[in-house]
Amino acid sequence: MEKINAKGKDLKEINQAIKACINGRRVVISGVSQLHGLAAGLKYGDVLIDGSAGDYLGVLNDGAAIEVAEDTGNYAADNMTGGTLIVRGNAGYGAGQYCYGGRLVVYGDAGDFTGTMNKGATIIVAGDIGDEAGTYMLDGELIVAGNAGKNFANFLIHGDVYIGGDWENLGHNTKVEPLSQEDASKLENYFRSYRIETVPANFKKITAASEKPFYK
Amino acid sequence: MSAIGAYCVSVDRGICLNASMPGKCATCAEVCPYGVYALDPVTGEMTIKNYNACVGCRICAEFCPVNAIRINPAESEYISRYPWTFGVIEEIHHKAQTGEYLLRGFGTQGPTPNFDMITVVPSQIASEPPRDKYREECDMEVLIGEDTCDKPIRLKLPFVWPAMSFGALSKEAKMALAIGAAMTGTAANTGEGGVLPEEIWFSRGYTNEGFSHKEWEPGGYLVVQWSTGRWGVSVDYVNSGDAVEVKIGQGAKPGMGGHLLGAKVTEDVARVRGIPVGSDALSPCRYYDVQTLEDMKHMVAFLRDVTGYQYPIFFKLGPSRPYADVAACIEAGADAISIDGLVGGTGCSPDIVTQGVGIPTIACIPPAVQALKDYGVHRKVKLIALGGIRSGLDSFKALAMGADAVGFGSAAEVALGCRVCYACHKGNCPYGITSQKPELRARLDPLEGGQRLANFLHATAEEIKILTMLSGHNRIADLSPEDLRAMDLNTAALTGLKLAGYDRPLPIWEMGNGKPSGNGKDGK
Repeated sequence: MEKINAKGKDLKEINQAIKACINGRRVVISGVSQLHGLAAGLKYGDVLIDGSAGDYLGVLNDGAAIEVAEDTGNYAADNMTGGTLIVRGNAGYGAGQYCYGGRLVVYGDAGDFTGTMNKGATIIVAGDIGDEAGTYMLDGELIVAGNAGKNFANFLIHGDVYIGGDWENLGHNTKVEPLSQEDASKLENYFRSYRIETVPANFKKITAASEKPFYK
Repeated sequence: MSAIGAYCVSVDRGICLNASMPGKCATCAEVCPYGVYALDPVTGEMTIKNYNACVGCRICAEFCPVNAIRINPAESEYISRYPWTFGVIEEIHHKAQTGEYLLRGFGTQGPTPNFDMITVVPSQIASEPPRDKYREECDMEVLIGEDTCDKPIRLKLPFVWPAMSFGALSKEAKMALAIGAAMTGTAANTGEGGVLPEEIWFSRGYTNEGFSHKEWEPGGYLVVQWSTGRWGVSVDYVNSGDAVEVKIGQGAKPGMGGHLLGAKVTEDVARVRGIPVGSDALSPCRYYDVQTLEDMKHMVAFLRDVTGYQYPIFFKLGPSRPYADVAACIEAGADAISIDGLVGGTGCSPDIVTQGVGIPTIACIPPAVQALKDYGVHRKVKLIALGGIRSGLDSFKALAMGADAVGFGSAAEVALGCRVCYACHKGNCPYGITSQKPELRARLDPLEGGQRLANFLHATAEEIKILTMLSGHNRIADLSPEDLRAMDLNTAALTGLKLAGYDRPLPIWEMGNGKPSGNGKDGK
């Protein structure tokens, strides 16, 4: 295990320090909540953030396993293409946007516009999620164990959205479907592997009403 | 403004092959993007079925094997019936019948303020004497990111290809642009639709992935675009070029995201963009992952970080509030800023937006230059003028007004063979430039296209050289507004250039107290 204290250091120094020591070892970083764009563009590695993180944590992640002991700022796991980001606390505004792959797991609540333009990632929120979550999702999965705010899954194009609680209102181009056996076992696997205490039976599935909601 | 009903289509039946031998030839019906001609499937006879739909592109006339077609503009309509011209009436009928607004490709139609009412001031006895274009050198290099990154871009000529995506353009057109950039030492741009593998090495001048054989000297650069749709974007993508361009907007549809309709999202396009085949790829109008200018600064910081502090960061702006927008780009940390004017084109946009939204290019440059000067970075942070620039003459004027380089989007398509039919969005481009259909793409040879583009840039560069040297300079960076005069009041008023004859800027500019105000917030 390699420990880095970010106090008084800038983004360039810290990200270079992370890259220098992720070879096969877990890197533990503390004091980074003021840095935005931490652990950007990593292809491998195991990074633990001891405390809270700033904005754009793990942006363009392409294979690293990143974990945050407390909360993240806005836009966590932005444009992720691979790897995982696990947030033990809450995620701010717009976590998991523009992702092509990888997994984002938030154990607390996630903010507005979470999972916007998801194109293939699996995003799991154990708590509640804000407004406009999953807006214009093109592929992938968004799983919310708690409740959602306004315009949930607005303008859904492709991909699957699952929710255990309620929503204020569903967005455009959505329809509610019953959970299939396949869906239920998939969800159960996720809940078991990430130790989230809920059961698939409570969940509803939301899919796109039409493939072409804009131009015929 | 609509092109409907603006042209008279006539076919000389005396020489038309179909008229004498029905069924023998149907070329006009095949190539017309608007279905002006109709072929009777039973008799094989050709008729002009829908002459009002003609937009005057003359593709049919070019393809007609016996030169039997004439297309003439119905000009008098615009004088005698304006504003209720036939086109306006047809457009209203179209909406009334279908409930749909018009979508189209390419750029703004009709007259807008442009470079034509600006003239170049040559050197005589009072100023620096002219230089000899045939016997002296002219420095046309543009260096981008000199102080901010490890690998600055050194354009051999002051040109870039603006962002045009794979998807909007065919693979062959993208490859031709990359080759054209390599042959001239300028920069290609991925656009927002992901990167084609060939673009990566072709734009640098290499024929293969291994970067082992350099075919096209001197070799150019590739700018990869980071936009609001983020199609095909990964850490490898942002590292595949020589610069990253943050797209804020574009001239044809500022305030709207890119439109790629499902008809053009083929398997190849879907793979490069990472989306399902046939789905509409509509980019959001704004960054969902940026809410404030502080966020944008952080975005620039992480883009520099993931690219190892090697490459310059570009910004691309639509024509809105050039002073405040350019100032914001400077604050965010731009190394180069492209500003695209009203006339800038696109693969697909609502007609009214292309037609009626945005500031003309000539009126964007002076406030943008003022912002750069106020921040003390003019000629350091580079300004790239886009939007309706057609020639060395237009380019020279943009450079003298204070831009460091210019870009040709529409002109590049024309150099590849385009005849401006405004149907880029339909995916049936007869020249294979904006189509994804294999049979149409086969008509565009990337090598020939690349050579044509390089020829166009070389000829245009020579034109700039002529004008630079006859006005007494041997570096394009030394050009200034003093090398230009406006030839009418409107142009002088829009640009602040000296009015020819009066030989001073208009009093409204001389009295203007400092910088243009307002960033559009709180109605100011």
